[in-house]
Amino acid sequence: MSKKKQWYKLDLSANVYPTLQRKQFSSVYRISVTLTEKIKPQFLQLALEKTLPRFPNMKVAMRKGVFWRYLEPNENPIPKIQPDICNPCMPMHMKGNNRYLLRIYYYDRQISLEAFHSLADGYGGLVFLKTLAAVYLQTQGISIPNDYGVLNIDEEADPGELEDAYIKYANSKVLPARSQGKAYRIRSTKEPFYTLNVISGNMRVEDLKTVSKGYKVTITEYLNSVLLYALLQKQKSDKVRKEKPVKIAMPVDLRRLFPSNTLRNFITMIYPGIDPRLGEYTFEEILKQTHHFMRYYINDKFLNADITTNAYTQQNIWVRVVPLFIKDFVVRQFYIKVQDKQSTAGLTNLGIVETPEEMKGYIERFDVLMGQPFSPRTNCAVISFQGVTTINFASSIVESDVERYFFRKLVEDGVPVTIRSNRK
Amino acid sequence: MSYCVNCGVKLEESLKKCPLCNTPVYHPIETKDTEHIPPYAKEKGEVGIVRKTDQVILISVFIICTAVGCGLLNLLVFQQGMWSIYVIGLCCILWIFFIPVMIYQKLPFVLMIFFDGAAVASYCAFIAYRYDGWDWYIGIALPIIGMAVLFITLIGFLYQRVSKSILFTAVTVVLGIGMFCTGIDLCIRYYLTGTIGIAWSAIVLTCSIIIAITLITIMRISRLREEVRKRMHI
Repeated sequence: MSKKKQWYKLDLSANVYPTLQRKQFSSVYRISVTLTEKIKPQFLQLALEKTLPRFPNMKVAMRKGVFWRYLEPNENPIPKIQPDICNPCMPMHMKGNNRYLLRIYYYDRQISLEAFHSLADGYGGLVFLKTLAAVYLQTQGISIPNDYGVLNIDEEADPGELEDAYIKYANSKVLPARSQGKAYRIRSTKEPFYTLNVISGNMRVEDLKTVSKGYKVTITEYLNSVLLYALLQKQKSDKVRKEKPVKIAMPVDLRRLFPSNTLRNFITMIYPGIDPRLGEYTFEEILKQTHHFMRYYINDKFLNADITTNAYTQQNIWVRVVPLFIKDFVVRQFYIKVQDKQSTAGLTNLGIVETPEEMKGYIERFDVLMGQPFSPRTNCAVISFQGVTTINFASSIVESDVERYFFRKLVEDGVPVTIRSNRK
Repeated sequence: MSYCVNCGVKLEESLKKCPLCNTPVYHPIETKDTEHIPPYAKEKGEVGIVRKTDQVILISVFIICTAVGCGLLNLLVFQQGMWSIYVIGLCCILWIFFIPVMIYQKLPFVLMIFFDGAAVASYCAFIAYRYDGWDWYIGIALPIIGMAVLFITLIGFLYQRVSKSILFTAVTVVLGIGMFCTGIDLCIRYYLTGTIGIAWSAIVLTCSIIIAITLITIMRISRLREEVRKRMHI
């Protein structure tokens, strides 16, 4: 009996990313794992061929319908792994790479996954990469159990992994306004096309914990505050005529609040910020503000209302019958005029990566990159593994002022940082 | 490993300067480990060109079918005159207009416009040959096609090399239209009367100059530009 091709509607977040697609821009992120041994490409290709069919949400091609885009299973040959490049997160054409919306790179001891954001969020990408790394190690005779986000490649995907969790949980009776107001935008010099500057800082989780504990906040709250502090310093040094609020776009993993094991997108944005027009903020005051903001907003009620606003728009009959090219135009304009302007920088924290005990000895570190920002600014991505936190800044601008203020503040607070960068 | 004297951060071995403040790394006693592999790859990647094969096939089939269909109709059903030759010629022009853009995406813009102009000129030459109209071909068709190619190339050049702003492009297009109309008027008048002068195109040229000056004024004065942006925003 022939198996019917299962196609997927794009989820709420996934619908936005293709509308921003340009020759020079794609919403692509990168997650890397550095192993202890040099990568053997033939084994990695084999591992990819075994792993990808297990992830129906990743083995897809994007197609255009009359009213919406959709994802359908991609039957083209599995994409070839490639030697790594110095300019990660390059734009990804929908029709290139055999229509696959992911790329796998290898370099020395590192395996990198680059995925179009419509396929999965950071959590989904991380599960895929962990499984790929586990299968890669298994192909070399190392036994790795299917646990801690390493999926069994011989099993069929669970329907829950492919669900649109937004629709499942969006049921709030209140629809909050979308616009958060305009935020300060970094003054900068744009780098030439395809350049993504990465500055990566490594530090011990223990050091971060000690400092955060001293301030009576969590690590995420502390890092958010340090970034806000750095952005405030940057705005001050820019000598702007009229100061604006400084805000961070921070994705929140909704799986923490709503029980779902979806491997597709399930995030929403919150915007912690400081308004310097109200007066001079000390670092302690920034911490206090961030701490209370997070406590106030990160709960199922508020975030449910947030995703319900988006779900309501998508399910509205009048929106649904509008042809795709008009929707694209409207969404793009909304993103350019409103969404993109309401934050100064982005910060994502994937948290502590857990792997099976048997795998830990073969892994040195994980890295995550938020990818090329839509407008000239810097994005920050945090991930921790085996007691080491890695903070990666990615930007397409020449200046590294925000990164400098950020890491200097960490050093000032007593957190030793090791820096590496692809800047020349 | 060295530390940045400015920022206090530890710097990875491959770094020659601090990426945060650009202070050069200087370690008087450290010997460089030549075996050290830098943490980032050196090769620069390039986004591959996506060939629009499906559209090329579809458009080609459509154009070829139209040409062949008209040819057969002319041969078998509507046999009066050689009318299908014109349709076939038009199909060739359309093919030259659309297909190189989709297949050879790296072809310079000037070359593409030149091919388009050459295709239209050849088509007109064929009509001139059929009706013995070399006079109008040399006197009107060829200069007008030449001017069109020149103006489009010029506008494209200014867009690519000078500025991609909407206002600047609008200025060049408006001025280009004005000058092109003047050129057409000049050619026709010279062809018909043998004298050099303009008539109707003077109105078009005046209008385009007025519009261009208005746009340049908006471009130059930031307050006005902001006002227009505010009132015209979508």
